[in-house]
Amino acid sequence: MDTLVAQYSRPAFENEGYAQDDDQQLITQITPPLSLKFALPPVAQSSSWLRAMTDDYSNPNCPIKIAHGTTTLAFRFQGGIIVATDSRATAGNWIASQTVKKVIEINSCLLGTMAGGAADCQYWLAYLGMQCRLHELRHKRRISVAAASKILANLVYSYKGMGLSMGTMCAGVTPQEGPALYYIDSDGTRLSGNLFCVGSGQTFAYGVLDAEYKYDLTEEEALELGRRSILAATHRDAFSGGFINLYHVKEDGWVKHGFNDTNPIFWKTKLEKGEFSNVTSKLV
Amino acid sequence: MPGFDFSNHNRNQALHARGVPLPKATSTGTTIVGCIYDGGVVIAADTRATSGPIVADKNCEKLHYISPNIWCAGAGTAADTEFTTAIISSNLELHALSTGRKPRVVTCMTMLKQHLFRYQGHIGAYLVVAGVDPTGCHLFTVHAHGSTDKLPYVTMGSGSLAAMSVFETQWKAKLTRDEAVKLTSDAIQAGIWNDLGSGSNVDVCVITEEKAQLLRNYITPNVREQKQRDYKFKRGTTAVLDEKIITREEISKYVTVHELDDKNESAVGEKMDVDS
Amino acid sequence: MASVFHPGPPSGTPKYSFAQQPNTASEGARQHSFYPYTDNGGSTLGIAGADFTIIAGDTRSTSGYSINTRYCPKVFRIGGPESRIALSVVGFAADGDALKERLDTILKMYKYQHGKTMSVAACAQRLSHILYGKRFFPYYVHAILGGLDEEGKGAVYSYDPVGSYEREQCRAGGAAASLIMPFLDNQVNYKNQCIPGRGTGHELRQRVQEPLPRKDVEQLVEDAFSSAVERHIEVGDGLQMIIITSKGIEEIYKPLKKD
Repeated sequence: MDTLVAQYSRPAFENEGYAQDDDQQLITQITPPLSLKFALPPVAQSSSWLRAMTDDYSNPNCPIKIAHGTTTLAFRFQGGIIVATDSRATAGNWIASQTVKKVIEINSCLLGTMAGGAADCQYWLAYLGMQCRLHELRHKRRISVAAASKILANLVYSYKGMGLSMGTMCAGVTPQEGPALYYIDSDGTRLSGNLFCVGSGQTFAYGVLDAEYKYDLTEEEALELGRRSILAATHRDAFSGGFINLYHVKEDGWVKHGFNDTNPIFWKTKLEKGEFSNVTSKLV
Repeated sequence: MPGFDFSNHNRNQALHARGVPLPKATSTGTTIVGCIYDGGVVIAADTRATSGPIVADKNCEKLHYISPNIWCAGAGTAADTEFTTAIISSNLELHALSTGRKPRVVTCMTMLKQHLFRYQGHIGAYLVVAGVDPTGCHLFTVHAHGSTDKLPYVTMGSGSLAAMSVFETQWKAKLTRDEAVKLTSDAIQAGIWNDLGSGSNVDVCVITEEKAQLLRNYITPNVREQKQRDYKFKRGTTAVLDEKIITREEISKYVTVHELDDKNESAVGEKMDVDS
Repeated sequence: MASVFHPGPPSGTPKYSFAQQPNTASEGARQHSFYPYTDNGGSTLGIAGADFTIIAGDTRSTSGYSINTRYCPKVFRIGGPESRIALSVVGFAADGDALKERLDTILKMYKYQHGKTMSVAACAQRLSHILYGKRFFPYYVHAILGGLDEEGKGAVYSYDPVGSYEREQCRAGGAAASLIMPFLDNQVNYKNQCIPGRGTGHELRQRVQEPLPRKDVEQLVEDAFSSAVERHIEVGDGLQMIIITSKGIEEIYKPLKKD
């Protein structure tokens, strides 16, 4: 009975509890009316102020260290799309976490990857997930990868120069497009392609991926190539490491292929396949 | 060539201009004080050395020997205080030998200020010089740029304000030895508790006409507490990939090997300084 | 002359890289006189157990080489008496307080509107959004949220200043995070520990993580802090521990060294 009453009785002010956020913070109408309103510092050049406070590259003594540093990759092949990432988050020289989930499951057929600012990626990919669901409800069919990636690209473009930092890939399968892969970054770039590596370890991943990649890879080979490319990057890039997160996007949605520690994979690769001969555990 | 080696100066300056920060020197953070009493002079120091916000040494010695009747408390860059006092100690010894007289505190202070002034503050030594000589009891402060002061009670270092507050409320003329020791150690404790740059124990040095007495770890109010758990690892916890045993024959190619008679006897040499 | 004794507030971890951009030479005349942050030091810690969560923090508040107060709690119970959620904030205390007040209000409003307490998972996401709402004027804090999840298991969520978050088994934050976190990695997640007596070298298996009993976790927390106090000047005075179980929330205070 109580629940029934609760369901139909309304508080005096409908918005009570929801509007309070707006009262609490300084609202400046500089941000585009795309999403939430963001609090801005009371200075003329908020972006350069933010950079002075948070960019540990230009100012190693900055007070706020934001987590970034990554290797992520995704490539298209005959069996769908492979998405693989490492799991390390760094803030300056400090390893903030070794267990970050850098593949974001937007919905059952769409994946996003995370490189650059962890919070930026986490927040805006969650926001993208919401927009994709709304699209589904409005149009009674699933959003195309092209459209989803464009929502994100337009969004970050509207914040250009404000200091967002993200390099992300959208991978998904839709009936109209088939397997589709897009790269979007915070500069506003949006590219479709067969193969992308993003992050501080991208060059190392490209090195392995470009050498072995062909479209006709079997599923088994493709997964192994994704894993091996991330392994190479974690081996040479100090800002990448931790676990290898592997996904396969197929016709009927994505499949997760584990979140595995790099260390045993490395030793297995070395000892069983004879690779990484530069590393030795023998004492001279 | 005696003195400082400047051969890396240009390179370091170029690196610094490119944004490479200077390596952090261990600073003594520090509270150091001194106080004259009837018949002698007392100096005291805390024992914490810091490197940024990290405690580098929990029980370092900030009271330095200059001559049998002159001691010095140092704040600022740890290496600078150590080497400056050592070089002045050495020069003062030579001076005493050539004049055939006991070294005077003013002489020591003058040598220090002249040495420090020459380096325009680049030698970061902030010192409290105290001693007794044929002209009486003396207490000086010497700043890194070369300025000096002569006062009945002095404090220096990051905890100087905390320590000075004790002196300003409790100091009186004509203190006894015990009162002076109590007062200086209280001043140091004010620094230990209220200044983050200072901590651990209190070292005191009492100098009279007859002798100087160093009271190392006079008060130890910060003994490390017992841990709740045991952190011993079982053998085999760390994976060993390869092992190499170096035989005595092999190692004796490079070093001289001495056989110890008694199995329980530990190697001769300086005993390691272990915290309590 | 007194100024020479104060080398300024202690900076963070040592940086030494030849690849770094110049931080001294600035292009043209640029100034940022607007500096709304102070580091109030201190350290926090959160560990999740099988059916409990411990959130702890020291109680010292500092600025530069001075102690503001020896008792300034950094760990808070939020969301009213029925709530089973604790929040710890370390960094800039004023931002931390503002953040705590905001989340506390939200939790209470949720209770009034829905007639039930918010789940930790929901609260965790809400906190992330609050932090991200100030993406361009961040809260200068490292937040750790603790509670019990839907299944009654301990849950710890940790955040960066702009709201990226993750559920973890344990997390240390603040000034002594770099001292405590490696200890936790080894003692809670058994990093770099193998199971002895199962062969040698590559045959050895990593010791697998399992939830620790409450007493062990309490001891680990106390040892972590008593060690941090020894080596970090901004940590000390008192240890505040909040232990969340299905039966309720306990709070423990233990003195730490005050030097």
